[in-house]
Amino acid sequence: MTWKLFSLLLEASLMTIFVSAVSILLGLALGIVLSGMRMSGSRIAYAGAGVFISFFRGVPLLVQLLLIFNLLPVMGITLPSLATAIIGLSLCTAAYQAENLRGGFEGVPPGLVESAEMAGFSRVQSFVWIRTPIALRMTFPALVNEAILILKASSLVSVVGLIELTKMAQNLSASTYQPLPIFASAGVIYLAINLVVAAIGQRAEDALPGLPSK
Amino acid sequence: MSFDFAVILAKLPQILMGLGVTILIWVGGTLAAAVLGFAVATLRRFGGRAVDLALRVPIEILRGTPFLVQIFLLYFGGPYIGLRLDPWVAGLLGISIYGAAYYAEIFRAGFQSVPPGHVEAAECVGLSRKQIIATILLPEMALLVLPPSLNMAVILLKETALLSLITVPELTMTVQAIGSQQYAFVESLVILALVYWALVELANGLGRLAERNLSKLSA
Amino acid sequence: MRKQLIAAATGAALFASAVAANAQDALDRVMEAGVLRVGTETAFAPFDFIDAGTHTGLNMDVFAEIGKDMGVEIEWITLDWTGVLPGLEAGRFDVVAGPATITKERMERYRFSSPIAEATVALLACAKCDIESPEDIAGKPIGGATGTAQLAQLQAFAETLDTPPASISEYVSFNESYADIASGRIEAVANSLPNIAFVASQRPEVFKVVKPAFGTPTYFGYPGRIEPEFDTLMDKIDEILLAMKADGRMATLQEKWFGTTFDMPDYIIEPNI
Repeated sequence: MTWKLFSLLLEASLMTIFVSAVSILLGLALGIVLSGMRMSGSRIAYAGAGVFISFFRGVPLLVQLLLIFNLLPVMGITLPSLATAIIGLSLCTAAYQAENLRGGFEGVPPGLVESAEMAGFSRVQSFVWIRTPIALRMTFPALVNEAILILKASSLVSVVGLIELTKMAQNLSASTYQPLPIFASAGVIYLAINLVVAAIGQRAEDALPGLPSK
Repeated sequence: MSFDFAVILAKLPQILMGLGVTILIWVGGTLAAAVLGFAVATLRRFGGRAVDLALRVPIEILRGTPFLVQIFLLYFGGPYIGLRLDPWVAGLLGISIYGAAYYAEIFRAGFQSVPPGHVEAAECVGLSRKQIIATILLPEMALLVLPPSLNMAVILLKETALLSLITVPELTMTVQAIGSQQYAFVESLVILALVYWALVELANGLGRLAERNLSKLSA
Repeated sequence: MRKQLIAAATGAALFASAVAANAQDALDRVMEAGVLRVGTETAFAPFDFIDAGTHTGLNMDVFAEIGKDMGVEIEWITLDWTGVLPGLEAGRFDVVAGPATITKERMERYRFSSPIAEATVALLACAKCDIESPEDIAGKPIGGATGTAQLAQLQAFAETLDTPPASISEYVSFNESYADIASGRIEAVANSLPNIAFVASQRPEVFKVVKPAFGTPTYFGYPGRIEPEFDTLMDKIDEILLAMKADGRMATLQEKWFGTTFDMPDYIIEPNI
């Protein structure tokens, strides 16, 4: 295992970080929308969000990515590998994040929402300005956890043609016949990234304002 | 491009074989993971500070790295340290070890949920450690650890799909191979997704049933 | 649920065929975009492989020439081989590098370019293993890559033996199967001669080529789409490949990557398998 090989792995890990970060944020936005659909009172929206969440939590990410990669073009949508990977990861994490957020939304004190609506907030406004920020705050640790899960799950996106840390490790292992040090190094890099994410998450959790009492 | 599911479904016996391998590795791996995880959590709880810390390291490593990297390391790296496992053995072992790290954390949280006073009281009346685990800790934490345990089982089911990448002839590998032989790629992926979806929903349903029965028992 | 999905899928298929009916000529589209999208796997040395983190190989050189002659950029999309032909059919890219063995079955499905190398299948075995002729795989663990014509030929050959091989493992890519020879898990892999000759020359202490080739003589070509709107594009690629064969550029590249040159027909009309 030379420094040259290790630096190639480090370089590839930037793609891992980029794809994961974008997917987490897009997934969070979509997760909030899904939560809104479930609380909108519309049965169709509720059922739609339910099927979406059930599907993306029920199918292995490997199969999801391959399906999106091969099905979208048939429907006339051809996107580059990077976009496909981000869409795949975002849809998957959105389903999980919606589940995480559910607990947060349930924990929003009803009195707060009622007083907001009495003060003239519409339902949508109170969802956006009252319930969502509180739910986000309450489920922040789950978001950090989800970020780590997605960083690990991004090891699969090479099946849609993206070269990230795991694919680079596979490539290097194939050309050097040194799978042991190369995959071990990849593991160390994943671990380091995740420890940093967890540490930042802990810092942020401590720095964020406290939770409202029930 | 047209869709033809019949060419895939014509290979039903093969698909069922693959499904069988998936279920065997899943059930076997999950049980082994739960037992191993429970053993690790128990050691951490009763083994003293040094053991607790020593066991924390492998757990953090297993939880902080992708399962795919772990099985590549085990399957392709293993032979270089004299560990030449058959694909399905590597797959079963991989699922068991990976799952054990998560189960160890689930049971650790479970142990912590039991008020220390209960354990102390049991110690005072002279119950052995085995008795304490069996009569105090396990029943008291069962309701708490069941949901995350079932959740983890479902995650492990989906992780078995990755074993196709180390040549284990499970569902994903079987259906994909049929898809490429029959040039029915998208169809094979759609069927694959539906089968996993159904399996996961089935597992979730069974889990909810188990939870309801358990909470009735303890109520 | 199932019915709805099939209905949705049928809808998608109708939509796709409607799109296809109005499809633009592929060559025009490529020239307009200024980009030729090429799909391939990078586990097929010496055609496409990763050397110290960089994609390299004969295909890179050949498509660089094609791009230069057409005046377009080449965009590479690299997948596992099991995803490459599906990606072509899904419209992910305009043509596949690969290359793929030209077979009758595949010719019904794809339009192949003029052949670029010989593809006859032989065995790569571990250097110290007791495999001196193809028949010696009887009773031994061997392997191949999923979804390849080489694997199909190996399976057909195995059936002719009195004692079958102990097992035939199927790998996502040939690289993993080579790694399993090196680790001792399997003793031999079936792949085309140019590939295994290259691998054995890189690591003679680990691998050896078992001669004679057991497979039927075949050729490698670049697969493209068979639909009429792709005719002009595939004609253009053939025109450039034939020019490269005529002016010696192809021979130079074959010498560079295979250490030898192949005599090849201009077109394969009737493949042997």
